[in-house]
Amino acid sequence: MNKIVKILLDLFISFMIIGIGAYGGGMVTIPLIQHEIVVKNNWLLLDEMAEVFAIAQMTPGPIAINSATFTGFRIAGIIGAVVATIAVILPSLSIFTLLTPILIKYNKNEYFCRLRNNMQLGVLSLIFFAVWSYGSAVIDGFIDIGIAIAAFLLLFNFEKKLHPIIVIFTCGIIGLIIF
Amino acid sequence: MKNKKETISLIELFWTFFRIGMLTFGGGIAMTMVMRHELVLKKNWMEDSDFFSIVALATAVPGVIAVNVAYLLGRRFRGWKGLILSVLGVVLPSFFIILLIVGILLPYFYNPLVVKFLRGCAIAVVGQLAFASVVFSRKSIRRWPHLAVCVIGIVIVGVLKLHPVFALVTVSIIGYFLFPNKKI
Repeated sequence: MNKIVKILLDLFISFMIIGIGAYGGGMVTIPLIQHEIVVKNNWLLLDEMAEVFAIAQMTPGPIAINSATFTGFRIAGIIGAVVATIAVILPSLSIFTLLTPILIKYNKNEYFCRLRNNMQLGVLSLIFFAVWSYGSAVIDGFIDIGIAIAAFLLLFNFEKKLHPIIVIFTCGIIGLIIF
Repeated sequence: MKNKKETISLIELFWTFFRIGMLTFGGGIAMTMVMRHELVLKKNWMEDSDFFSIVALATAVPGVIAVNVAYLLGRRFRGWKGLILSVLGVVLPSFFIILLIVGILLPYFYNPLVVKFLRGCAIAVVGQLAFASVVFSRKSIRRWPHLAVCVIGIVIVGVLKLHPVFALVTVSIIGYFLFPNKKI
């Protein structure tokens, strides 16, 4: 078997594992991505990995997908990018496809609905944790806290009128001026 | 809402998710707030409570949250064709943007002005995530015991540093027995 096929296969398997392990939002997945790419396969150096995460965090889109496209491209060009990106979304798509008949069947079941409603509390725990993990990764000093609070208040007060991206870009421009 | 379901064209579905994928910083959970803005507040395709139960399901299943939400919503609106287009719509922008950056724009990425701008954006995402937790709390936390159970989940993942799946399962089970009549 030639070398490129083996690399693509390894990429595919690694990002399938990342796709299964991705849980509770991108920030939580970062250690797993790092383990697969830096520790297990030696595809990138730790510095390069840090660069990938910085870019993945600051560009639009889910962090796991951004990291997959980036790493895949670095290792095997466009084909690598395509393979890694497909691999990272394939597990959850398959799980949902298998789950769909069950979800439809028990949709009106009393116990199932009760479990599903209470699951929302658990999801809320993960969202609170995401605020913390993302916040501790990017916030450094009182000015940053002030900007984050301002963004929050804008979103909160103009919930129906203001598109979130406007608030994000406004803070970007503020950053341009004051940092 | 039923009549709305039939009027959503596949192109509109794709374009909506493409825009969401293009205009979202900060990963899956931050992304759900942009989705809510586009789908619930602006287009009125569904109710808040509906949207939250879909986000909860998307988070509970392993995988990228934004992709899971796109899958579920696409399927709900337009069946299997809808889900393929929504997933493509949400994935393609980040795919192309990353290719553009890694292929051409990487040197500019270290330009001080770009760094400053992106840092401002990243800080705003923290505010957006805090906003997401408030929006979700409004629906899910209505009495203080709800909050107490939610805090147990935060402790499991934040203090004990266990895998998030333990937090979700523990909170769901405790909630299941404590709040039998919880309607969301």
